[in-house]
Amino acid sequence: MSAIALLFLVLGLGLIGWLTARVRATRFRAGSTVRFSSLPGHHGWFVALWTAIPPLIFLVVWSMTAPALVTDTVLATPAAMQLPPPGFDRASILSEARSLAEGRSFGAFHGLARTLAPSYAAAQTRYDWIATALALLLAFAGGAFAFTRVKPGFGARTQVERVVMLMLLGASLIAILTTVGIVASLLYESARFFSVVPITDFLFGTHWSPQVIDGRDPGASLGAVPLFWGTFFIGAVIAMIVAIPFGLMSAIYLTQYAAPTTRKWMKPILEMLAGVPTVVYGYFAALTVAPAVRDFAVSIGISWASSESALAAGLVMGIMIIPFVSSMADDSIAAVPSSMRDGSLAMGATSSETIRRVLLPAALPGVVGGVLLAVSRAIGETMIVVMAASGVATLTLNPFASTTTVTKQIVDLLTGEAEFDSPKTLAAFALGLTLFVVTLLLNIVALRVVKRYREAYE
Amino acid sequence: MSDTLVPQIPTTNAEPARRVPTDWTTQAMQSRIRRRYASERRFRFAGLAAVWMSAAFLAYLLITMVMQGASGFVETRVALPVDLAAAALPIDPARLVGRGADLALAGAGLEGTVLAAASSKYGTDGANLLSDGAWAVVRDAIKADPSLLQRRTVFEVPVSSPIDVAAKGNGTRDAEAVVARLKASGALTRGFNAGFLTSADSTDATRVGIWGAFKGSLLTMVVTLLLAFPIGVLSALYLEEYAPKNRWTDLIEVSINNLAAVPSIIFGLLGLAVFLGTFGMPRSAPIVGGLTLALMTMPVIVIAGRNAIKSVPPSIRDASLGIGASPVQVVFHHVLPLALPGILTGTIIGMARALGETAPLLMIGMRAFIAAPPSGLNDPATVLPVQIFLWSDQVSRGFVEKTSAAIIVLLVFLLAMNGVAIYLRNRFETRW
Repeated sequence: MSAIALLFLVLGLGLIGWLTARVRATRFRAGSTVRFSSLPGHHGWFVALWTAIPPLIFLVVWSMTAPALVTDTVLATPAAMQLPPPGFDRASILSEARSLAEGRSFGAFHGLARTLAPSYAAAQTRYDWIATALALLLAFAGGAFAFTRVKPGFGARTQVERVVMLMLLGASLIAILTTVGIVASLLYESARFFSVVPITDFLFGTHWSPQVIDGRDPGASLGAVPLFWGTFFIGAVIAMIVAIPFGLMSAIYLTQYAAPTTRKWMKPILEMLAGVPTVVYGYFAALTVAPAVRDFAVSIGISWASSESALAAGLVMGIMIIPFVSSMADDSIAAVPSSMRDGSLAMGATSSETIRRVLLPAALPGVVGGVLLAVSRAIGETMIVVMAASGVATLTLNPFASTTTVTKQIVDLLTGEAEFDSPKTLAAFALGLTLFVVTLLLNIVALRVVKRYREAYE
Repeated sequence: MSDTLVPQIPTTNAEPARRVPTDWTTQAMQSRIRRRYASERRFRFAGLAAVWMSAAFLAYLLITMVMQGASGFVETRVALPVDLAAAALPIDPARLVGRGADLALAGAGLEGTVLAAASSKYGTDGANLLSDGAWAVVRDAIKADPSLLQRRTVFEVPVSSPIDVAAKGNGTRDAEAVVARLKASGALTRGFNAGFLTSADSTDATRVGIWGAFKGSLLTMVVTLLLAFPIGVLSALYLEEYAPKNRWTDLIEVSINNLAAVPSIIFGLLGLAVFLGTFGMPRSAPIVGGLTLALMTMPVIVIAGRNAIKSVPPSIRDASLGIGASPVQVVFHHVLPLALPGILTGTIIGMARALGETAPLLMIGMRAFIAAPPSGLNDPATVLPVQIFLWSDQVSRGFVEKTSAAIIVLLVFLLAMNGVAIYLRNRFETRW
């Protein structure tokens, strides 16, 4: 039976359990004057949960183990004796046989796959029926057990609420699981990488050319310093040169000068800049900004200007970051007590003097925190640099020269044929780990700065 | 102690020297005030300029996309007389109904007939004028009206990409010359390119469409929503309503806040290593894309949800508890319904972000060329932003307008989603 049908069957049984238990509970409540701890619905939920949850858990576990069991059965058949030893060929024959058996493909490259397909299909069917039978058995057993407990004195509500609390707790643990998953997978793959390439070569090497890796000394062409520099140059220098003045001045104008209607209209318009997908910015950068930057460079006499310059990517990234800086600055300026502003104005200072000498210094920690968060976002940004920056890693201070970034390299390394064992592929995970650690540190520092500063005025 | 302080205070009774009142009319003061006011005006103007420049960037971006993309919805067609009676295709009329019709017409050599008709009408390279999909137009017309097989008909078929680009005023010199000739003879017409909305990716710029990518996006978003919404809401409820203050809940909070700030490409690496590498799920499938994006969207929903739950006043909880509801009933009967509009607003914003996301999906292999719309969660698929990315890499000029047109579609969807979020916020916002 297909997984979806089985799922619906189990849920249907749960519904039946809910209805019958509810009817029973309503019946023994009718005409009774005793106070009950649970409503009929609670009894219904109690039975429904007992009916549906055990088979669902079983099915999840089964779906992870069954493919291996099926493969084992197929391997035990006489035809499987002709299979090549474990390795790439064997895996590809088996996967072909599987897709033949499931009716997803109709031709096979390997003849052996065709002979194995029937036994595959047979094993699959057999295990499917075993799963169906076991799931139904669990559903009925659980349902029957719960149904016998539906009695007037039974506290179904407590039981159901305990399950609800467990579900709530489980849901919030997913965040930890995701974090652990990220850290574990990055660490695991990076550890494999660093077992081949010395960590010092990676962190301090200045030559990056993953396309030609010397097998005897892979570290020589996997020095990531140019990438770190490119990322820093585009994300933290050029993008911020655009984003900080525009973001800060917009925030100042919108909070201090603008009429309420202007503010009401302009704020969402600026926020739209943050809502435009990054792939659109990337396309805009590659199609419009990069050629314009190159033409400008040529017109001021730089003949070798690249059309994949750091400047084009950085400019567009800065535009993307404007609303981010502006809303952080907005928040921290709004957090300055108005008595400070009023005091300054009462002394005869003009608005701009008040802003520059009183509000900004008081709001500075918050602004700095916001800028750090913006930098963290800029260095993690991928699509703009993938589309507008070049793949050539150079250590340069010239904004018209081509540079590359960590995220661009991760994408380049992991697309195309991905063998999971070459230092080239694993390098992407090492880069990912570096990126994760750096953005994490930036975020922690930034949030701490913002938080400490906020508390000072409250 | 006080003795040491006293001598510092002037003990004389003499009147302290009065400060002379500032004479604001002097030249020096006037020019000083003028300087200060000028600087005030400059500062204010700088602020205004920053706002307008930022808005101008956005306008320029949008206008560029619309100007380039608008022509993507238009296709150029050329009049092509095809004498189907003379061609006498070996077709059994009985097979022209139902599913076998496409196969029957293709097998009978309709494509060759159409190309021959083009050569006889427009010279030896006439076949190059037509789009690869031109014969499909004839095929569909015959399917709709089999009597066409008995006569000579003039069809309006789409032209090939270079001619299409030239007709829109941006082609090579040769193509422009051909277009000028065709225009003079009145053979060229323009029409709405319905195929762009209904077909999938192709290698020919005139035949590409966004339906395949759109369907992929839809399936991915369904998976994302089904996972991220319940998990996000439940964990927001737990953290805000029940969680005890201890090291474990602190850990949960910190990891949710960190996940919200982790670069999206890292989630792609997670999906690649865990879902593809460890669990062996299929590459390029909406289910993996949805799972990856759900992990990314969940923290956004949790944070928005917590804010919405926090804004429900405690008096509601107290009243409910006071008449004997259990903590679970309080939350599910009272707090959650009141917080739901806020949670929904946050969810829509999170989903809009997920819909525009590209980088993590590139990591899990959603960058393959996929010419058929996915029919299930395990089928190879692509999504709109990735389709835009793939088209942007194409060198053919015809793809530029298609890329911009796809961007228009994506932006329209994002704007609509954000509009709904704003509407929900305004409609259901309650201040207690």
